[in-house]
Amino acid sequence: MTTTLWSWTTSLLQVVIVGVGSLILIGFMAKVKARAEGRVGSPVTQPLRDVRKLLRKERLHAHHSSLVLPFAPMIITATAVVAVWISPLVGTHPVMVSGADIFVIVYLLLTGSVAAALAGLDAATAFGGMGSSRAMTIGALAEPALLVGVIALAIQSGSSNLAVIVASTLHNSDHAFGPVHLFALGALVIVVIAETGRIPVDNPATHLELTMVHEAMILEYAGPELALVTLGEAMRLGLLFSLVANLFFPWGVATSSSAAALALGVAALVAKLLVLALVVALIEVRSAKLRLFRLPELLAGAFALSVLAIVMGLVTR
Amino acid sequence: MVWYLLALAFGAAAALAGVVLPRHGRVAVSMALGASSCALALVASVQELVCGVAWTVHVTQLLPFSGVTLSLDPLAALFVALTAMVGLAACVYFLGYAHGPTASRSGVSVFMLFVLALLVVPAAANVMGFLFAWELMALSSLVLILSEQATRPRARSAALWYAAMTQAGAVSIVLGLLLVASSAPGQDFAQLAAGAAHLSAAQRSLAFALTLVGFASKAGAVPLHVWLPKAHPEAPSPVSALMSSSMVTMGVYGILRVGEGLLHGGNLWWWVAVAALGVLSAVYGSLHATTARDFKRLLAYSTIDVMGLVLTGVGAAGVLYDTGQREDARLALMASLLLLVAHAAFKGSLFLVAGSVERATGTRNLDRLGGLVHTMPTTTCLVVIGAAAIMALPTLSGFSSEWLLLQGLLHGFADSSTPAVIVMLLGVVALALTGGLGAVAFVKVVGIGFLGQARSEGAATAVEVSRWMRLAAGLLAVPSVVLGLAPGLVVNTLSRAASAALGVGAASPVARGTGLLLSHLSGDIAPLELLVAVVAVLAALLGANRALVQRRARRVAAWGCGREEQTPRMQYTATSFAEPLQRVFSDVLRPQTDVEVTHAVESRYFQESVTYSQHIADVVEVRSYRPLISLVMRLGEGARRLHNGSIHRYLAFGFVALLVVVVVLS
Amino acid sequence: MNAAYVAALQVGAGVVLFCAVMTLWRRGVRTIVSLLGVQGLALGAVALVLGLHERNAALLASGGLVVILKGVVIPGVLLRASRLDPLSRETRPLVNVPASLVAAAVLIVLSYVSSARLTSLAPSVATRLVPLGVATILVGYFMLVTRRRAVSKIVGLILVDNGIALVAYLLTSGVPFVVEMGSSIDVLLVVVVLQFLLLSMRRHSDVDALTERRELHD
Repeated sequence: MTTTLWSWTTSLLQVVIVGVGSLILIGFMAKVKARAEGRVGSPVTQPLRDVRKLLRKERLHAHHSSLVLPFAPMIITATAVVAVWISPLVGTHPVMVSGADIFVIVYLLLTGSVAAALAGLDAATAFGGMGSSRAMTIGALAEPALLVGVIALAIQSGSSNLAVIVASTLHNSDHAFGPVHLFALGALVIVVIAETGRIPVDNPATHLELTMVHEAMILEYAGPELALVTLGEAMRLGLLFSLVANLFFPWGVATSSSAAALALGVAALVAKLLVLALVVALIEVRSAKLRLFRLPELLAGAFALSVLAIVMGLVTR
Repeated sequence: MVWYLLALAFGAAAALAGVVLPRHGRVAVSMALGASSCALALVASVQELVCGVAWTVHVTQLLPFSGVTLSLDPLAALFVALTAMVGLAACVYFLGYAHGPTASRSGVSVFMLFVLALLVVPAAANVMGFLFAWELMALSSLVLILSEQATRPRARSAALWYAAMTQAGAVSIVLGLLLVASSAPGQDFAQLAAGAAHLSAAQRSLAFALTLVGFASKAGAVPLHVWLPKAHPEAPSPVSALMSSSMVTMGVYGILRVGEGLLHGGNLWWWVAVAALGVLSAVYGSLHATTARDFKRLLAYSTIDVMGLVLTGVGAAGVLYDTGQREDARLALMASLLLLVAHAAFKGSLFLVAGSVERATGTRNLDRLGGLVHTMPTTTCLVVIGAAAIMALPTLSGFSSEWLLLQGLLHGFADSSTPAVIVMLLGVVALALTGGLGAVAFVKVVGIGFLGQARSEGAATAVEVSRWMRLAAGLLAVPSVVLGLAPGLVVNTLSRAASAALGVGAASPVARGTGLLLSHLSGDIAPLELLVAVVAVLAALLGANRALVQRRARRVAAWGCGREEQTPRMQYTATSFAEPLQRVFSDVLRPQTDVEVTHAVESRYFQESVTYSQHIADVVEVRSYRPLISLVMRLGEGARRLHNGSIHRYLAFGFVALLVVVVVLS
Repeated sequence: MNAAYVAALQVGAGVVLFCAVMTLWRRGVRTIVSLLGVQGLALGAVALVLGLHERNAALLASGGLVVILKGVVIPGVLLRASRLDPLSRETRPLVNVPASLVAAAVLIVLSYVSSARLTSLAPSVATRLVPLGVATILVGYFMLVTRRRAVSKIVGLILVDNGIALVAYLLTSGVPFVVEMGSSIDVLLVVVVLQFLLLSMRRHSDVDALTERRELHD
């Protein structure tokens, strides 16, 4: 397979797997939670059915909203798709991987969050403002931990390019099990839970005023736009999980341009995603949602872990 | 050189036109001349940046005793270009903005003098010329702050703080420069640089510390920043734009010129101090920006934030230079300079937009705005571009510059010397902390100020402003986009400027096409391709939208939880938006809340009204400056007792002073 | 063998500092005391690894003593005392939790900066980890100063002692066995005495917070 064909295949596979797969992943997490709580729960493909149902419904816009409301879901999904397109999830050479800097990915995700927050404020309701305010607060507190943790990884691998970090972890197994990776993993798991809005940071299934964070921001969406928002959010979750999986456990990623390697890469990614989803679902079952003003403690702890990771990197050079 | 002198001539002509012409044609002619002056200066500086050879000219007649030496090397040319870009937009904006006191003789001519002074400061290459231009810049901006005091009640207090702090800073700079000049044969900067070798290390450190105090105060470094959030909001909007985009950068220019150019780097710990100031400013500025309610005050604190990041980069560059890593120092400095240019563009645009909003709605308070996306769509577009640039969203200039700064800091980790590692760690943590907080501040600005429903009469009756004001803000939005998509275009000129600052040779290129590629840390970004990808996906989504969903959207009432009516009062305000963060950081911000209850006349058990007010004052001002001021006032009161009116006492004072002078001289 | 030694040493020292930071984070007294136990085990592991690498019997014995004393005995004594008040939580420390975590990050950076000179005297894998020990000392002292509950203060004191021990092991391959035994028994004595004081204070009043006291009652 030529390099260009391989790159395009890798990218397309990534988008398809993360795009469709994350919806199934969310259904899988709901199923695990249901089983753990002694219920049967809805089928794993339920989110796909929800999206299909929503596409058939009517488009509704709130009275005082502007173009921002219909545009925001497109921006959320577009930034998520591009981020998945250029990240090394299935193979180490998707299209444009030379531009796949880890800061590009982080800030693309920030773009999506900002778009969602603006949409919440555009609806001119109290719920939208509340959701935006809380979501941006959590984002602002999680951002330092995320950036510093990612920088710890970049310092250890000598570059902030994702493909180089993945390759470097593959080649140096002492990095993979070293203290830097351990502490950065701890910090990034907390940040991923915060960014994707799972318990204990936010409950994705609630619609109570006092407890809504993310759901409040997208309360005004209905029909196809809600379907797009769901898809976009699912892709962000899939991207974050895949990044954590591949940055810390990169074994199985396709490094050569052959069909067998690609197939192995796909299988490895799916397996890693399922395991990570299982772990997060079990964390969700075991813990209760934290009060909004207890969240700074959690995120400050993640920040302390990230700083610890950088200092460990400095002392173990 | 010719272009630059021509630009200065046009600028002087514009100021003259402002004084001489009658009201009818004053603004138009003066601004036309001013805009041409800025355009010529831009041409001159770009020419200098591209060809890279410095020129010098000495004019003896302008100032007594020493004359003025003008010299443009790539570093100065960068700052002139920055000023010219913002000055051009400000002149265009002025055409639409000027009315009443701003269009008076003093308003127009002093504005042109301000622009002229800003163009001369980077080019001044002898001590007297530099100080003259510096003072002209300070005094003209002071007059301009007072020009609208009829409609702005806090302008006088702001002007007082500004005058006091800027003069104190100027005195400090004068002392520092005099110290450096004490061992030099003449006044030219070139001679000072040669003579600095004869100064002892302690003298050099003292000179740097003195000039750092003055320049850091001008750049808005905490704790010398107190004048900035007071003065920038009270000035007329084109002046605020110039002050925030261009005048504060003169502080950074001064630090670079004195620290590297004159004193040749000097001690490692100077630059650690600069970086520490930068980190403190960045975190403090972003925290206050998050909780500010006044649009322009928020922008002023955001300036402090970005200037803090720039100072961190400059400090990192200085540390790396002193530990021998010239390449990495140049990279860090390039990143700071790119951030400066990007900041000038997006902050200038945002200040101009703030002025448009204030003109259209009559208020700057974000709690009273809203719904402007329907009545002022162009302005909303411009503010979205500016806010997106400042939040460092990819493909805009803020992201490219912050990425380059991060890369410069990461390079520094490879060096194992402790000061470099401290600076890198602090810089990384500062960048991380301010990223998230800046996003909250600007989502607040766009979301609360422009989206939703209008929260006051003024916002509801807003009309789009004149085309000159929109054009000016749009002019400054263009560099934000261009620098973001194609940073590779300007990187070579930046590297020439950085090399000129550090006194090293020509640079190794870091551009790859329009993107950026760094050779030995193997990091790169390709923003143009990224934008193409995002637009492609958006187009695909729009197409799918059109194909799958035939019907148009129907307008309905928003979810009201059973309520019939939705009033604008039910929306979130800027204060409530930032309230969770304010609570988290309440130890640092120390908000003062006041609840006043008025009881009914008949009985104390019934309340007639309850008033809640909250105020976040600048902690540094309240804890350090006000006690200092009250101390000085007490000293002044004590000194008043020396003036008891007896003429014998006053004559005795004179006699004692004369005796002291005689004793000292002998 | 060498790679395993390096990894074990780094992870062990890292876990010691990690436990110190976690005690600032968590509020429940039982959680904090269990973390102290984990830290003691990690500290002992560091000593054992160093002893195995350098074939030093005294170091091995010292490591064993640390595992028993600081990993099992002292946390056990503290747990027994806290069992009288099992739901006690640190509700209002002098410095709130996020601020103390940020302070911990600053202290870690500070200890890295200040230990650079020490490390450069004799650079080796072990000495480069000294900043972690210094950071544990600083974090422990911070906890001693800013926590209200007596048990939290005792935990802070033990953190300081563990940090000093870690620094000693890394820098000088441990202190003489007799000194180590003496200092460990001193710490045990202090803990037991403080427990007696705690018990008697609790018997005489309901409140355990030291800062509520203005004078010593009898």
